[in-house]
Amino acid sequence: MSEPSDTDAVISVEDLAKTYRTPFRRRRVEALRGVTFQVRRGETFGFLGPNGAGKTTTIRVLMGLIGATAGTARILGQPVPSRAARQRLGFLPEQPYFYDYLTVPELLDLAGRLFGLPAAERRKRADALIEKVGLARARTQPLKKFSKGMLQRAGLAQALINDPDLVVFDEPMSGLDPIGRKEVRDLIHELRDAGKTVFFSSHILSDVESVSDRVAIVMRGKIEAVGSPRELAGRTLLGVDVTLRIADPRGAAAEEIAARGDRVRRGDQELSFTLAADADVDEVLAFARERGAKVVAVSPRHDTLEDLFMSRALASDGGRAAGAEVQDGGHLR
Amino acid sequence: MTGVAGIWGRLWAIALNTFREAARIRVLYGVLVLVFGANAFAIVLGEMSIHEQARVARDVGLAGISLFGSLTAIFLGVALLYAEVQKRTVHAIVSKPIERWEFVLGKYLGIATTLTVLVALFTVAMVLLLLYQGVTVSGAVGKAVVLAWMEVLTVAAIAVFFSSFSTPFLSGIFALGLFVIGRVTPDMKAALGSEEASATIKGVLSVVLEVVPDLHLFAISGRTLDGQHVTVHGDFVSWGYVATASGYGLLWIAGLLALAMVIFQRRDFA
Ligand SMILES: Nc1ncnc2c1ncn2[C@@H]1O[C@H](COP(=O)(O)OP(=O)(O)O)[C@@H](O)[C@H]1O
Ligand SMILES: [Mg+2]
Repeated sequence: MSEPSDTDAVISVEDLAKTYRTPFRRRRVEALRGVTFQVRRGETFGFLGPNGAGKTTTIRVLMGLIGATAGTARILGQPVPSRAARQRLGFLPEQPYFYDYLTVPELLDLAGRLFGLPAAERRKRADALIEKVGLARARTQPLKKFSKGMLQRAGLAQALINDPDLVVFDEPMSGLDPIGRKEVRDLIHELRDAGKTVFFSSHILSDVESVSDRVAIVMRGKIEAVGSPRELAGRTLLGVDVTLRIADPRGAAAEEIAARGDRVRRGDQELSFTLAADADVDEVLAFARERGAKVVAVSPRHDTLEDLFMSRALASDGGRAAGAEVQDGGHLR
Repeated sequence: MTGVAGIWGRLWAIALNTFREAARIRVLYGVLVLVFGANAFAIVLGEMSIHEQARVARDVGLAGISLFGSLTAIFLGVALLYAEVQKRTVHAIVSKPIERWEFVLGKYLGIATTLTVLVALFTVAMVLLLLYQGVTVSGAVGKAVVLAWMEVLTVAAIAVFFSSFSTPFLSGIFALGLFVIGRVTPDMKAALGSEEASATIKGVLSVVLEVVPDLHLFAISGRTLDGQHVTVHGDFVSWGYVATASGYGLLWIAGLLALAMVIFQRRDFA
């Protein structure tokens, strides 16, 4: 198989468009409207966007499940759909549904057969993967008895049976409890350390932010921003958080100090506030010390990826605003 | 893995899984019980001469194979391929290094294997009954079973073809329609030759005759072939006829599956 020499792109998507038509052609949904991005060899790439943004649609085009209306998509150097590329690919579909009458070993055996693995190898890899995803105690149960989280684990195991170079996970953390989410994050780190390219989607910012080398933010069928979480966020200083220890945080002296900033919080012998980005921090701290306060902490407040995500979400849609569906912690529904 | 071994490995993987899935469908066991029951009932219809009993046993047994076999073929054919798309189990499969045509063919082979096991069990029931009655099982019965088996496999291909683009309900209706029409093609040909039929009816009939498989070729007992009455109870068709009819069935199966593969290739799995 020939590798592209000019680029190390493992996934390359250019101007991808997809318009869904309902059977009677009355309704058209422009799910993708010119999506362009590249995923480099060995990186972990987070595909972040609110529900309905077009993440699953992009992934289905990449997996050869649906045809694009326009544009090109290549994986592992081959235009999709390519059987050769799929040989080196692992895929976890969104809300995976497998044959529910199979047990995990049977599911993995079927997957292994499709990759042409010999029987002994299939058994060896299946055993190792079942152990790895923590399903050893559920070996003999049919999948229909599995919880959402167990199914997700089974899905991850079947995606890794061929020891793929590229893994594509559609919402791998969805439906999992906090421990499950952490385990998926750990698995992604582990795959990355093993030199694999990881492409995964999520509508939850914190899940993407912590594991991705680079992130693409997709909204309403378009890429809004691509870059490392640090590049995307933290470019502007929003203000400076100051925390002081003071005998009476509600006394006259404290009032005078607090008046220099805003977002004032008072604790037990503690006073915190935020100074404007252009404030003279030295002068304010000297002013505070003169009034008997001790400086506990001073920290710059930067734009976070969450701030960026929220502002884009709000800006990109006036009507069915994705931002309107935002819940605390950047969880979008 | 490429090459014939690779293709065969993938077909076998899908076929085996489809057989497993079918083996879990309770209705199939109901059909088995029904056909066994019908055979047993033929014994209870006593008060007949041995000769008549044997006739009834053969008729009931063969009708069970071709009728219940075909109905089961329609049921499995319309349900199993569609369910893969509907339940999205197909997503984790066709994103692996298997071609879609291999998936369709593997699916059909699994259904065909299931039906073959069913036909074999129906046949065992019939043969046991004939032996119980002390009737020797003639070569004619063997030929009739092979013909019925080919018919069942052809009907399965019809059902799979429709389900490659349509819902189980519609596919079922289409497949059942073709099954019924395919059984009465000689009567349609006769109507075409009659004076009474209008020109419109004749036009429709001649088009239908062009596109419908002649399933009556597989249920030839009791009909007239080349001016001679053939019956499984007496003078029946030759093995040459069985081979020709089977070839005809295989051509239909190949054509229908090829169309199903082309349609499936172009579908969006969303
Ligand atoms: N099969 C389909 N038919 C019609 N519209 C669809 C279909 N699948 C998705 N859509 C629409 O396309 C848009 C993008 O959906 P999707 O790619 O699933 O988003 P995401 O995965 O980011 O949540 C949504 O508006 C969704 O309603
Ligand atoms: Mg999605």
